[in-house]
Amino acid sequence: MIMKLAEALKVIQSVPSHAPPLQVALLCGFTPLHLETFLRARLCKLFPGRSPNVQTGLYGDLIGNLRRVTGVSAAVVVIEWPDLNPRLGLRRLGGWEPSQLQDILGEVNRGCDLLQSSVAAVARNTPLVVCFPTLPLVPVSFSPLARASEFTLELRSRVASLSAALSRLPGVRIVDPQRLDALSSSRRLDVNSDLSAGFPYMLSHASALAEVLAGLVLNPQPKKGLITDLDDTLWRGILGEVGVQGISWDLDNHSQIHALYQQLLHSLAASGTLIAVASKNDRSLVEEAFAARDPILREADIFPFEVHWCAKSESVARILGAWNISAEDVVCVDDSPMDLAEIKAAHPGAECALFPSENPQAAYELLERLRDWFGKDKISDEDGLRAASLRANVELQHGIKKASPGVVGDFLRQIDGKLTLSSQKQPLDSRSLELVNKTNQFNLNGRRFQQAEWQNWLNTPEAVFVAASYRDKYGPLGKIAVIAGDLLHVNVNGVNSDSSGKRRLRIRTWVMSCRAFSRLIEYECVRWLFAKLDVEELEFDFLPTARNTPMQNFLQQVRNAPAEPHCRLSRAQFLKSCPTSSHVVEESPNG
Amino acid sequence: MAELESRLVNCFATAFPELDPQEISSVSIGSLASWDSLAGITLLSLIEEEFSISISPDDAAGLVSFELILDYLRKDNLQKDNLRLSPEDAE
Repeated sequence: MIMKLAEALKVIQSVPSHAPPLQVALLCGFTPLHLETFLRARLCKLFPGRSPNVQTGLYGDLIGNLRRVTGVSAAVVVIEWPDLNPRLGLRRLGGWEPSQLQDILGEVNRGCDLLQSSVAAVARNTPLVVCFPTLPLVPVSFSPLARASEFTLELRSRVASLSAALSRLPGVRIVDPQRLDALSSSRRLDVNSDLSAGFPYMLSHASALAEVLAGLVLNPQPKKGLITDLDDTLWRGILGEVGVQGISWDLDNHSQIHALYQQLLHSLAASGTLIAVASKNDRSLVEEAFAARDPILREADIFPFEVHWCAKSESVARILGAWNISAEDVVCVDDSPMDLAEIKAAHPGAECALFPSENPQAAYELLERLRDWFGKDKISDEDGLRAASLRANVELQHGIKKASPGVVGDFLRQIDGKLTLSSQKQPLDSRSLELVNKTNQFNLNGRRFQQAEWQNWLNTPEAVFVAASYRDKYGPLGKIAVIAGDLLHVNVNGVNSDSSGKRRLRIRTWVMSCRAFSRLIEYECVRWLFAKLDVEELEFDFLPTARNTPMQNFLQQVRNAPAEPHCRLSRAQFLKSCPTSSHVVEESPNG
Repeated sequence: MAELESRLVNCFATAFPELDPQEISSVSIGSLASWDSLAGITLLSLIEEEFSISISPDDAAGLVSFELILDYLRKDNLQKDNLRLSPEDAE
């Protein structure tokens, strides 16, 4: 939805002045003018409770602006043709003679090299969103506009190479022109505005571009799971009516859109998205369909199957329980508006999407939305383990339930658990930051970090960082916990002093994946902190959140007192309450 | 015409939120410190957006008070009305 300038200004004016600031740099070679306004307004909408401030640089000096950027949570770089060569703009006259085209290409090449090194330097410390030219090329080439000349093709090819090279840098997100094309009209260049004010965009284009840029600054965490119906959703046909051989997902039966849906879900499963089935159906028929018809979405991609005649909302509740995630983290797809309404009433946080089985165009648009909801920056090792570890967790829970109370530790000692701890702060580990920013239940305070903020903090000498990976006989869980805090030396008055004072670790963030629950890993982590860091006391920057009950329960248990902000735990207190160690704990060879 | 004036007042209120609504109709570039070149561009862009018009750079240079802008919009409106009328109607 395109935002108007008047609306953008009102959004900015409505932000309370006392809200904590969010510093974002907008780096471009043109006058940022309304793009700055739209970007700030979009950031205000995407970061409620913050007061976004957009820093800009000097006109005509994109490289200098990149060199000067500092102290921001993120930077947005908008490159237009004149930044690669001034002759490709309207405000400078360097000549458009055919004999000059080769020289322009040479300068563009040098400009691209300089941009690459400048962007790479900033990206080391600051997340960057980069947008390549969005405006039409000026009529510099001698060929008619409908015919692509060698010059323009080479120019675009050079920009595409730079774009691909920058996309490989960690922390750099490139604007996809296809997305921008869908939002912004074809009339983008405002000649009047460019000539009079140095701002080259039509308002509608600036508004659309700002929407895309702000979305990439936010970089939202993907949804974690998708719950799908079967009949007229995963395949065409009602299984109970047409039988196993009557369902289809192919071109011949005009049901190819279901095949594409399966293909997308199979791809999501391979990228670590949890996939479950909630279907009102006959269980044995469904098993037969998966065995006999070999769908693109394999049975192994799906966990769990909720196939029976009970309400869909009950199935969703059981699936959320098995996955140990909340409704806000899932998307439910179904062809029945009634079933979706029933799910939504019981789980208001869940995203409910109608599968329009009779309208392939609308169904295709749903596939695009699904990709957006589940889109990731990159696929981690943990993404490949998630579904398998959830299945294994069911087995583990059975074992724990069977073990009599008081001997859970004995049971855990039999599962060959091995906890590997790493305290290496550099280079930045994106999986750790991802865990901090998406874990809700075992989370000390719900605090989220921008990449630059996280990196800057860990770079301080007193910052302590610990990441834990785990495996047992049920398989590896990958990296499942992160603890970060500040090591303090506290004198008798409780004030930070020189190294002669009592050592205390102030834990500012602590998260653990719900897949690792019930294994007493949190106790092993605390035991290791006391031993390895030789601290007398832990202080917890605890804050209650709507969903961190597991953390509250742990602190209550270990301290024998309710969890509260800045609560503490002494070594002696811990040793009194902790269970005996159940796992092998080792340090990562990398430290 | 009253509607045109009130829409223009809204544009000024959005561009200069610190302005007292009573002061808007008498404001000019000389009487308002925050009306610098950047704010001027923003104001004219808001007016272009609100009235779906394009203000030429030559015209923009003279639009330096609420009253002058209102006059400009009235003339622009009148021209559009005349264009909409057939030659007979215009007579």
